[in-house]
Amino acid sequence: MALRRALSVAGRRWAQPLCSAPWGDTVFAVSSGHGRCGVAVIRASGPGSRGALQTLTGHPQPPPPRVLALRRIRDPATGETLDRGLVVWFPGPQSFTGEDCAELHVHGGPAVVSGVLRALGRLPGLRPAEPGEFTRRAFRRGKLDLTAAEGLGDLIRAETEAQRRQALRQTEGELGRLYQCWSETLTRALAHLEAYIDFSEDDNVEEEVLSQVDATVRALEREIGAHLRDGRRGELLRGGVRAVIAGPPNVGKSSLLNLLCQRPAAIVSPVAGTTRDVVEVALNVGGYPLVLSDTAGLRDATDPVEREGVSRARDRLQQADLVLAVLDATAVPTEPAGLGAALGSLLPPTATPCILVLNKADLLRGDGAALRDACARGDPLPPAALLSCETGEGLGRLLELLARQLVRLCGDPLAGSPSLTQSRHSLHLGDCAAALARYGRDRRRDLGLAAERLRVARRHLGRITGHVGADDVLDIIFRDFCVGK
Amino acid sequence: MLLRSVRRRLSPSLPPAPGPGRRRAGSEAGTAAAAPYQVVVIGGGHAGTEAAAAAARGGARTLLLTHKIGTIGEMSCNPSFGGIGKGHLVRELDALDGLCARLCDRSGVHYKVLNRTKGPAVWGLRAQIDRRRYREHAQKEILSTPLLTVREASVEDLLLAEPEPDHPGKCRVTGVVLGDGSTVRAGSVVLTTGTFLRGMVLIGLEKHPAGRLGDQPAIGLAQTLEKLGFAMGRLKTGTPPRLAKDTIDFSGLEERAADNPPVPFSFLSEAVWIEPEDQLSCYLTRTTPKAQQIICDNLHLNNHIRETTRGPRYCPSLESKVLRFPNREHQVWLEPEGLESDVIYPQGMSMTLPPELQEQVVKSIPGLEKAKIVQPGYGVQYDYLDPRQLTASLESRLVQRLFFAGQINGTTGYEEAAAQGVIAGINACLRVHGKPPFVVSRTEGYVGVLIDDLTTLGTSEPYRMFTSRVEFRMSLRPDNADARLTHRGFEEAGCVSQQRYEQAVKMKAALEDGIATLKSLQFSISKWSRLIPGVPISSSRRSPASAFDILQYPEVNMEVLARAVPEPLGKLAQWRQLAERLKIEAAYEWCVVNQQQEIEEVRRDEALRLPEDLDYFAIDASLSAEVREKLDSNRPQTIGAVSRIPGITPAAIVNLLRFVKTNHQKAERLKALPQTGRYLPGKMHSEKATSQRRISAELPEEEPESTFVKTPV
Repeated sequence: MALRRALSVAGRRWAQPLCSAPWGDTVFAVSSGHGRCGVAVIRASGPGSRGALQTLTGHPQPPPPRVLALRRIRDPATGETLDRGLVVWFPGPQSFTGEDCAELHVHGGPAVVSGVLRALGRLPGLRPAEPGEFTRRAFRRGKLDLTAAEGLGDLIRAETEAQRRQALRQTEGELGRLYQCWSETLTRALAHLEAYIDFSEDDNVEEEVLSQVDATVRALEREIGAHLRDGRRGELLRGGVRAVIAGPPNVGKSSLLNLLCQRPAAIVSPVAGTTRDVVEVALNVGGYPLVLSDTAGLRDATDPVEREGVSRARDRLQQADLVLAVLDATAVPTEPAGLGAALGSLLPPTATPCILVLNKADLLRGDGAALRDACARGDPLPPAALLSCETGEGLGRLLELLARQLVRLCGDPLAGSPSLTQSRHSLHLGDCAAALARYGRDRRRDLGLAAERLRVARRHLGRITGHVGADDVLDIIFRDFCVGK
Repeated sequence: MLLRSVRRRLSPSLPPAPGPGRRRAGSEAGTAAAAPYQVVVIGGGHAGTEAAAAAARGGARTLLLTHKIGTIGEMSCNPSFGGIGKGHLVRELDALDGLCARLCDRSGVHYKVLNRTKGPAVWGLRAQIDRRRYREHAQKEILSTPLLTVREASVEDLLLAEPEPDHPGKCRVTGVVLGDGSTVRAGSVVLTTGTFLRGMVLIGLEKHPAGRLGDQPAIGLAQTLEKLGFAMGRLKTGTPPRLAKDTIDFSGLEERAADNPPVPFSFLSEAVWIEPEDQLSCYLTRTTPKAQQIICDNLHLNNHIRETTRGPRYCPSLESKVLRFPNREHQVWLEPEGLESDVIYPQGMSMTLPPELQEQVVKSIPGLEKAKIVQPGYGVQYDYLDPRQLTASLESRLVQRLFFAGQINGTTGYEEAAAQGVIAGINACLRVHGKPPFVVSRTEGYVGVLIDDLTTLGTSEPYRMFTSRVEFRMSLRPDNADARLTHRGFEEAGCVSQQRYEQAVKMKAALEDGIATLKSLQFSISKWSRLIPGVPISSSRRSPASAFDILQYPEVNMEVLARAVPEPLGKLAQWRQLAERLKIEAAYEWCVVNQQQEIEEVRRDEALRLPEDLDYFAIDASLSAEVREKLDSNRPQTIGAVSRIPGITPAAIVNLLRFVKTNHQKAERLKALPQTGRYLPGKMHSEKATSQRRISAELPEEEPESTFVKTPV
């Protein structure tokens, strides 16, 4: 009996995990509904709220509990003032969630709100709240009876409802489709890695699967990284996307410019090398600002003036956000591979998005069906349109392609208020990309750990695109591999 | 011996082996004849034996009813235990003092840790087992377990009575009716009938009722369950033909040797019984296009494949592999069935073709050109219970005190069955003693994931354990199963022996001290680089670094550290198991720390219990019809389980929380809840006194946790 008691005392130490973890994380979100409004309330709940309040206001002490105080709110990373607003400090348990809570009442403009959210997201131990999370925390602390107050109940419904609507809007947008595509790629890579772990010893899951997963993860990491680094989105929207029309001489580049701006802005002549300087016009395509430049035809010119024009054209190409590559439809191969080669000889492959325009469709012998097919096929070609600047045929498709590229470049301004979504998205995407980068490091050491990185990455992406469960992963495994004995 | 038993099962006309009709074990002998049993277990397979042994270890007078004592410990399918994911289950069972790990350590003939190069969290302990030795050891163990009586009898019906108040369920089981019409009273009953419920064996176009080739199915019981209103489904599985070893030409085949030294399954085993060099090898061969041809030409002769009953996707018959992935080679592992056995088990060739065609398929495979079939492969179709009708303790909601475990719940595999058996046995025993149930959370073990998946989501195909099903794979490792479960098994379930408990406590303390020593030993990076010259220690890391930090490097282990710093690390490296575990703890530290937070989240959600008798169609909460339907059919027991049901929105969870909370407050005004027997499964991993203190600190308001208290009688 004495022994049993002694053992039970020893056993009490089992209550603690071997490696102790910091207890509880802190979540934040806009809790004053969505959209533009005069004042937005940003709430943080959890043990880190006090620290967050101190860091953002630069005050060593929070204001007295439950008393509004006017404070300057700064981004701790840059020291830049984000706003002047009212802050409140609710030490737990006398708060909505029962935990330590802080509220920041800031001006409701999207820039201010997203700035504050980004600043909060960068603090250690803080993360954006999941839908309904404040309420769940309140429930755990036995605080939910407060919701008997009808207004609060409505607010919670609005919170989750707004998030649902927002999610819906995002998945319909171009950006949503991009995230969805990443999510599918990552889920598949994860499933293949899981298959390798669970089945490779006994079944026909080959080593190649691993190198494919590695390649997929590397590509995805690069893509998400580029997407995140592309801080120019907002700028593009304000200043306009710079599109450059490029191509060999006399394919109709200036005609294209004139067609698009619907006035003879550039001189057009049948003589090759008419355009020497860069001609620029500002346009509005599908609501997006576009600065379109016509450039000299690319060739090894002998005339010194033309040579200067070609050199300027190449400079412009370097700086372009978007290239409209124009070729003569009557002078190009009709099959995609040949077309690709023709394009490749004109422009070195770059990361700059490109639209291929095949002009002079009216001069084609026959109906041009082969070319039209090649244009519609896409891959390996960039998006392509068959056009006649003379008759205007094909202009609709070109405008559509242009608008699509512009959405991709500028982001979808319809995809919810930037305050709630974009900052949340970039936080999760950042975490996702970081986990993908760590995958590469762990891959040779411990496949279990590497898989854990992918699971973490998947979870972060899932916060944007929706949850993927173990069963979805198993479905992919059983679809793609013949496993089991 | 094995061949004889195989032949006996092949020809049912032979009289059954003479054996004692009834055997009692231990101190009960002589007095227990008239005494009512506290726990009755029906079925002597892997689930049944583990359940009966666990209940008896917990202190319940237990009766195990089986068709044949001689088939206790029978491995009716593959002659192996463990594997990836399954090995985790075996370790966890062992941590709860279950039988199979120790039996395997006494009867394996080829031990192999799978996934050796993929990291210790996904190591798969596995062994080829000598069927005869396993059966003998299992029978010896079962027949000598104190408080456990074993009896040969079939069960035809259940004895039922009025339900206990304060528990959901429309009636309560009080005993069983045997084949001869006699009755046995019981405090609780565990059903582990495997594939025997309306079991049907199929070979080619032939069909005959049997739970296993040569054994009678259980039809009366199936009818009883149906009458009681249990939702049943039908599943299928299969087993390959067995081959005569001396007719196989192994010379051209790929050999897979066993590990040297072999790694034991049980935390109690220092080493396994067999000398490393005496272990047998497995051989790999592959199917040819000819096999595919024979199968495809004869689909019309194959009832099992043509029917629509769901089979497993991961343990498919050769027929379904060929149909789903045509024009490929499929692996066939030739596995020994025992040291002296002259039978080979061709893993991967499960078939239900008529026997003469099975022979043609076998002969089309390299190495098997002259192979003789000693028993044809066959398929089994059987009834299973929709496991969503069970609670996390594996008790049925419909009939109080009736527990289900094993293949009857829609799983496949010895390990999955045994794991459920242990949990059901423990809970049947606790129920009789009026104690709160023993539930392993998803955050604590694979067995928790298994049971939570089954009882929350159900299954439409035979369920098998995979590591990919487990959220906290980095924390739930084979090496630390004892640290996760042994203490709880001892304190709460009472199913763990004093010896095992002491050993686990000692290891736990040594690990903690070891980690503390390693963490306190700090040197500058340059000093570490001098001490361990071969290891590229990153100069960018924080200096000074502790020995624990250095141990994270793949090239470093305790031996290396001990050579560099003999004092105080020398003694840590000497204890081999400790040294290995310290290395793993160091490698996974960051990951486990990160997961700890998520684990806390899940546990908090699991601590929020929903009333068991909630009528989701009637409650006044803003829930869509679709959500109500899902909640009603899945009957989640906690908010944690709700959030794992596909298609349940966060808004629905919040609404459900609000409903439960407000509803409870009304109820509380009516009656004060008793203060005893309160439990929060998510917290059970921690020592009781501590956990209660923590709860009261966490929930400062008027005991909101009692909302979901289940009050044991």
